[in-house]
Parts: sequence; C-alpha cells; structure tokens
Amino acid sequence: MEIGPQQPFLTTKLDEFIAWAQKSAIWPMTMGLACCAIEMMSIVSPRYDTSRFGAEVFRSSPRQADLMIISGRVANKMIPILKQLYAQMPDPKYVISMGACASSGGVFDNYAIVPCDHFLPVDVYVPGCPPSPDALIYALMQLRREIEAGGKSKVLARNA
Amino acid sequence: MPEIPGEGVGQARPPHYERRSTAALTAQLRSVVGEHLLDASSQSDMDEVALRPGGLIAAAAALRAAGFALLLDIGVTDHHPLTPRFEVSYHFLKIVVGGSSKLDPHSPGRFRLRVFPDDADPRVPSLTGAWPNADWAEREAYDMFGIQFDGHPGLRRILMPDDWKGFPLRKDYPLRGFDRRFVPGGRLGAVPPLKES
Amino acid sequence: MSAPTGLKPFENDPDVTLAAADERDTLIISMGPQHPSTHGVLQVMLRLDGETVLTAEPEIGYLHTGIEKQAENLMWQQAVTVVDRADYLAPLSNSLCYVLAAERLLGITDEIPARANVLRVMFAELTRIASHLVWLGTHAMDLGAQSIFMYAFEMRERILDIMEFVTGARMHQSWFRIGGLAIDVPAGFLDKIGAFVDAFPERLRDMRAILEQNIIIKDRLIGVGKMSAEEAIAWGLTGPSLRASGVNYDVRKAFPYSGYEAYEFDVPTHSGGDCYARFVVRLNEMHEAWRIVKQTAERFPGGPVVIDDRKIVPPPKTEIQHSMEALIHHFKLVSAGFNVPEGHIYQAVESPRGELGMYVTSAGGNKPWRVRWRPASFYNLQALKHLAPGNLIADVVALIGSLDPVFGEVDR
Repeated sequence: MEIGPQQPFLTTKLDEFIAWAQKSAIWPMTMGLACCAIEMMSIVSPRYDTSRFGAEVFRSSPRQADLMIISGRVANKMIPILKQLYAQMPDPKYVISMGACASSGGVFDNYAIVPCDHFLPVDVYVPGCPPSPDALIYALMQLRREIEAGGKSKVLARNA
Repeated sequence: MPEIPGEGVGQARPPHYERRSTAALTAQLRSVVGEHLLDASSQSDMDEVALRPGGLIAAAAALRAAGFALLLDIGVTDHHPLTPRFEVSYHFLKIVVGGSSKLDPHSPGRFRLRVFPDDADPRVPSLTGAWPNADWAEREAYDMFGIQFDGHPGLRRILMPDDWKGFPLRKDYPLRGFDRRFVPGGRLGAVPPLKES
Repeated sequence: MSAPTGLKPFENDPDVTLAAADERDTLIISMGPQHPSTHGVLQVMLRLDGETVLTAEPEIGYLHTGIEKQAENLMWQQAVTVVDRADYLAPLSNSLCYVLAAERLLGITDEIPARANVLRVMFAELTRIASHLVWLGTHAMDLGAQSIFMYAFEMRERILDIMEFVTGARMHQSWFRIGGLAIDVPAGFLDKIGAFVDAFPERLRDMRAILEQNIIIKDRLIGVGKMSAEEAIAWGLTGPSLRASGVNYDVRKAFPYSGYEAYEFDVPTHSGGDCYARFVVRLNEMHEAWRIVKQTAERFPGGPVVIDDRKIVPPPKTEIQHSMEALIHHFKLVSAGFNVPEGHIYQAVESPRGELGMYVTSAGGNKPWRVRWRPASFYNLQALKHLAPGNLIADVVALIGSLDPVFGEVDR
C-alpha cells in the first residue's frame, strides 16, 4: 500500500504491524517423528507453555500451519511425505530442524537416516538429543526475531 | 512370593524359572524333527534346538501341543563369513490357554528354535498359517536379510521403501549404505568409506 | 455403545434402512503417516464402507533407524546410547534389557551390587510411570479430554526433573551401564524421590476420578477392540494389552531380574479384553509402579554402584591420577572396550509396552555381533489388523491409543 514517497511512515508502520502479527501467531504443524516429538509436546505442557507466544495451536493440516518442526530422525520412507507436507504448506512457512538427528543424522551414521536439510530448506537448527523444551523455545524466539526483522536479520541459518 | 534365602534386596538369585519343564520337551523334539535336526542343547537362558528348515513346521506344532502357545519373536542373525550363514531364531513362550484363561506365573518357560537355511537361497517355511503374529516378523526378516518364507500371504518389504535394493542388516551390506538417497551426488558428496577400527 | 457384531452397524435396527454396499462403494483412506492421533509415524490403509472399517493394513517403517545395525558397529558399552533411542518413551527399559543381556553373557549378573539393582528397579519403575503418563495424556486427548494431557505432562515433568538431577538428561539417559550404573546418585536425591512419592498418588487419584467412570470414556472404549485371551496370545500380545484379556503374564514375576522378586507388587489384570480394560490396567499399573518406587526408596542400601572389575568398568577418576594401572585400564576400556565371551542369550524385561526382549549374539569381540530386538510394540501393533475391521473409523483412534505403540520400537 503506497501512499507516496513522501509518506513512508504509514507503510513502515503497517509492515511492523504485519510482522508483529505474524510472529505472535506461528502455528506449528503436528509433525512428531520420534523422541524429539515428546519434547515438542512438552512445550505445550504447563511447565514450558508456548501459549505465551501464541504458538500452542498445533494444526494437523499443513494447509493451516506456518511452521514445520522436524522433530525426530528422518527415515528413507518418510522423505517423500515430508516433501509433500512442505509443499502443501502455504507461504510464509518456516522449518525448524529439531534435534541432532534431524539436523545431521545425529547418533545414527547409517543407511537409514537422512539429515532433513538434504531435501528441505531449514531456518533454525536446534542441537540436542533430544533438545530440552527450553532449547526449542529459544529456536522459536530466534524465528520470531527473524520475522520481526523482515527476513533481513543475520539470526537464521538461511541468511547467514 | 517365592522364598529368597538370606541376602538383602537386590542380591538374591531366583530359581531357574526358565529351565523348568523343558528338558523332556527337547527329547520329544529330537524325534519329531528327525533328520532335520542339527543340535539340541541347554543354554543358560533356555533350551534350544537347531534344525534345518524342513523340520520347522513339525517342531512348532509340537511346541504348541506342549503348551508353548505364544510365538514371541522371529529374528535373524547373519553369521557371515561362517557357514551356515543365516540363523532364523524362533522364541516361544509357554502359556497355558485353558478354559479360564488363567496363567500360572510360576510355570512359564521359554524355548528357542534356530533354523539354518541354505546360504545361497535361504528359504524357510512360513508359520503364518498357525501363528498369525508371524506375518510382520517374517516380512521384516525378508526385508532386512532376504530370507524367503514359503507360504507367506504377502512377502514384501516392511521397514525399507518398497524399491530399496539390497538387504541392509546383512553383514556384507555396509553400515552407511551405498548412496545417500534422494540427494543426487549427496550434499556431502559420495559416501566416504567407513574407517576400520 | 457396543461394537457392531457384523460388518454393518445398525443391522438389526428397525429405524435404519441400509442399501447393499458393493465393492464400488468402499473408500480407501490413508490415515497417516502424519496424523495427530496415530501416536507417531504410522500409516493405516483403511478400506471403509461409510464409517465402518472393512480392512485396516498398518504400514510401518517410517521411522526405521537401523539401530540394530548401528549397535553392531559400536563397542558394547557405547551401544547403550543407541539402544536407549528405540522405545523413546521408556529409554531406561531398553538399556536395562540390553545391559542385563550383556551382563549375562559376561557372567557378572550376580556381582552387580545391591545399590545398583535397587536404583535400576527404581528408575525402571519411574520410567514406567512416565511412559504411562504420556500414554494417558495422548490417549485421553485423542478421546477429547484435553486437560488430562496437561495434568499428565505436568506430572511427567517432575519425573524428568528427577532424571535430570541424577543422570543429567531428561530423556535418553544412558545411565544403566554394563557393570552397574554410570554415576551414583547425588546428595539430596532421597528428598526428591520422597517428594514425588508423596505427590503422585493424589494426582493419579484426580486423573482417575475424571476418567475412569466418565461416561464419554466408557462409551468410546467399552466393547471396542475386544480380544479374548486365545486371540491375544495368538497375536503375540504382551504387557498391559495381554493382561487386559485376563492372561496374568508379567516378565517381572515370571522371569524376575534385578531383584524384582523381593518387592511387593500386584500385576493388574482385567477380564474385559477391550479398550476400556487396557485403559484400566494401565491406570492400575501406574499405582503398582508407584508402590515399587516407594519400596525402593525405603530400602536404600549403601555401597558401590558398579562391580569391582577393572576389565569391564573404568576405575574412578581419582584413582587414575595416581595409579598407572588404573590409567591403563581406563585407556584400554575407552579405546578398545572389553570383549564379551562368545554365545547368545535372550533377555526380556517388562517394558511399559510389554515383553521387550533382546536376543544378543556375541562373537567374542568388543562389539555386539547382533542385537535382535523383540519389540513389544511391533507385535502389539500387528493386532490392529485383526481388531479394527468391524469398528468405526473413530474407534481406530481409540484402538491405536489403547495398544500404545511407540514407533521407535516398531521400526527401530
């Protein structure tokens, strides 16, 4: 919405408003693969409570989700499923690779496990096996900073 | 509660529950299996009989008649480079299925059958007819080791993708596999060889 | 409402007229592998006639990790770390089974100190409670009781706090080691256990009060997925699913390990055989596990937590600083590990899912030759093929929850 080059104040404020709205309601998809999924479920539990950040609404349908948290090891059979789910998510969409197995294969250096950045663009990597729910919430915070900065911050892996 | 002589918590050893009531059974199995028998022995955890695939159905039926109604597990071990290479192990649990379905917890026993099929073309008769829970276990044995189960209603891969080549748990299949699937060339390049340790 | 007897519900209902369904009227739906209620990556290919399931074929393998192959390439003590990650809701069960098997092959089962055995039992039972709390939270949430998820997970956090306090990790502790435990418990441990033991029964009572006689839970679970004892045995079920059909088989009573025969606990069974029976059995099991934890906290012996064999267990760090021999032992153990005599053994433990067994083969080397899992969830889940047909599609969700599969164990 362009008012005119002599009035950029309104568009900046609108952008800020949109960024604030987006970062305050990042809805993850229920994408629980393995052990990390249990820690992912724990962030909704009363102790860690991502409801404070607007992110407790886990949508089962990728069509309604903003964030795909790859929580767990990715086996060969699961790869086409993940690619299809990612494709089904509407823009803007983000991917958090949670845990050592999703990020790099983790403890499993074998034929069966593939790191998720081999086939998906990842925004935040979370180390840990499994990462504590605090670590996942920190990753969510990083993502919020990124959204707030309009994709131009140096916080995330994609932009560094 | 069984009496534990002397000692404190955590120190006592229970009587040999596993070994009860299976000594006579081993002798019966020897005769049932006949010329397919390779060995019969008493291990520290349970008695076992090693046999060729031809004697499997008869041995399993004899075990069932003796009260070993629960097929616990079908597993495969690859002893490569020894021969015979494949050992298909069947573990049975003795559970009495009576009219009241009550089980005496102090009388169960376990038994193991070790079947050694051919190295080049490993074929074993399927137990799915009489034991419904053999279905998936046999599919997994096929998927991981390439053992063919004659008479299985639908022997196809269960854990690996349907078009996977090779049998991953065999000893001559490398740990890292042959290629990084779904990544042309691989993000890290070709699979580096595993350092021998 | 009771499950339909044939494949058509409302068959004898005079108010409903059904048209005959032929093959063209059936619908094939893939439930999963991404689904909120499949408790993991499970794909169930359902053939439906309206809402009734005609056939259900579970497709697994979406989490196949090659744990068995990975364990063959790690030293005996190192393999404890990958073994933990199979049944990820009850990691210490997996390592207990593996560690007991390796100790039997080594022949050192009798030498494990009393303190180590008591701690093993205590933590195995705490793991059982934690696993059942996850089961309860997710199963009740699938049936609609979302607040139970919060209660259960909050209680589980207290158990994970204890785990973190002692072992340093919330999940995948890798604390049970061949020869005993990795480290001893810190000071203040008994107070924490005491606090948990005091707090748990009331919370369990609260959750049971909400659920056990709840009309919705009863409507959803009674009569669904009924399994007679013969069927349960034919399908190789073990654990709570088998005990809910009236078969009183518990590995802790039948083939005791780690001193379980010295504790007083009952094995809950139920004759119903349906989902409600499995529900009640697991609730009762939590109470029994709590009883065992209480007993272990009361009889807490002193002493070491590892066996006194430097060929298997590294010496304490303080000794390494002034003893050349201790230094060499430590070096050898870390670089090359220890050799386990040739042989094979089947060791089973009662995991929260049932009989978790491992058929471990050693070729005499410093790495396991083969660690074959007897995965309890694999065989429990297979029964879904038999249980689902004839039920409604919503019952499939209840069935999966009541069989309580963990896909790390199913797929390994």
